[in-house]
Amino acid sequence: MRQELAQLGGGAHALAIQILGNVDDAADAVHDAFETALSRPDAYDAAKGPLKPWFLRVVRNRCIDMLRRRRGDAVPVDSLIDARATPDEALITAQRAFAIKRALATIPSDQREIVVLRDYLDLSYAEIADVLRIAPGTVMSRLHRARLALKEALNTDDS
Amino acid sequence: MTANKRSNGDHVGELLSGYIDGELTQQQRQRVELHCEACTECKVELAELRALRGEVGNARLSEFGEDVWREKMNDPTVQVSRGIGWLLFLGGILIAAGIGIYEFIVDSSIEPWVKFLFAAIYGGLALLFLSVLRQRLIERKTDKYEDVEI
Repeated sequence: MRQELAQLGGGAHALAIQILGNVDDAADAVHDAFETALSRPDAYDAAKGPLKPWFLRVVRNRCIDMLRRRRGDAVPVDSLIDARATPDEALITAQRAFAIKRALATIPSDQREIVVLRDYLDLSYAEIADVLRIAPGTVMSRLHRARLALKEALNTDDS
Repeated sequence: MTANKRSNGDHVGELLSGYIDGELTQQQRQRVELHCEACTECKVELAELRALRGEVGNARLSEFGEDVWREKMNDPTVQVSRGIGWLLFLGGILIAAGIGIYEFIVDSSIEPWVKFLFAAIYGGLALLFLSVLRQRLIERKTDKYEDVEI
């Protein structure tokens, strides 16, 4: 289980960053989720599905708890962009990745989440519904709206 | 109205996302394919959404790799705090149970046969618990993956 969790850490951190808007808080959330998962291994039932969506749900719940404590979910746009990464990075791919991060930062939190769950973490629609606790039938429409919003944000950024 | 300039209601909309994600039924897939053959707008949007999906997938949204998380999980502070937590928890339970048993034994208002009955019930439960615990510990010791460090 530890091996699998370590592999899920990066993706879970990416999701937590999109929810919390802060790299360090996101790392804390993932760390707390590790502790929850390791201290109560029986909480995960392999018969009910893969570990990945279950663990991402634990991370998401932890992030929501942290947001509640902050009393508000307003995420400063700039905080979602890693200050260490700059557009001056030599590679075009890095510049594009930077543009994606910047565009993600401008769309609503729920849209960021669903895009990251599908396009970055490669979850199926059923798994996304499980993580977000929404009806499976609504995933496609929500995701489509989120992608259109992201595309729009990218186009605005480019122009 | 040409095929390229249909009203929004005629476009396949969210099915484009379902299409690139492979989440459509065969009938829906065919509908999208037929529509995109005739509608340039949706064809372009499909290509753009597919490219966007690829770009998000390749964007490095977290700078922390697997090694970092492995270290965090094996963080000695966490290990120690967890150990102390368990020690306090189990110690507290043992002390509370000890006091309870002592009070129960020395309490002269309880009939000896009642004491015996309760001792049998709780003693039996304790034995069952210990046997399960022993079995678990033996299984853990003989786990061939136990020493595999991540």
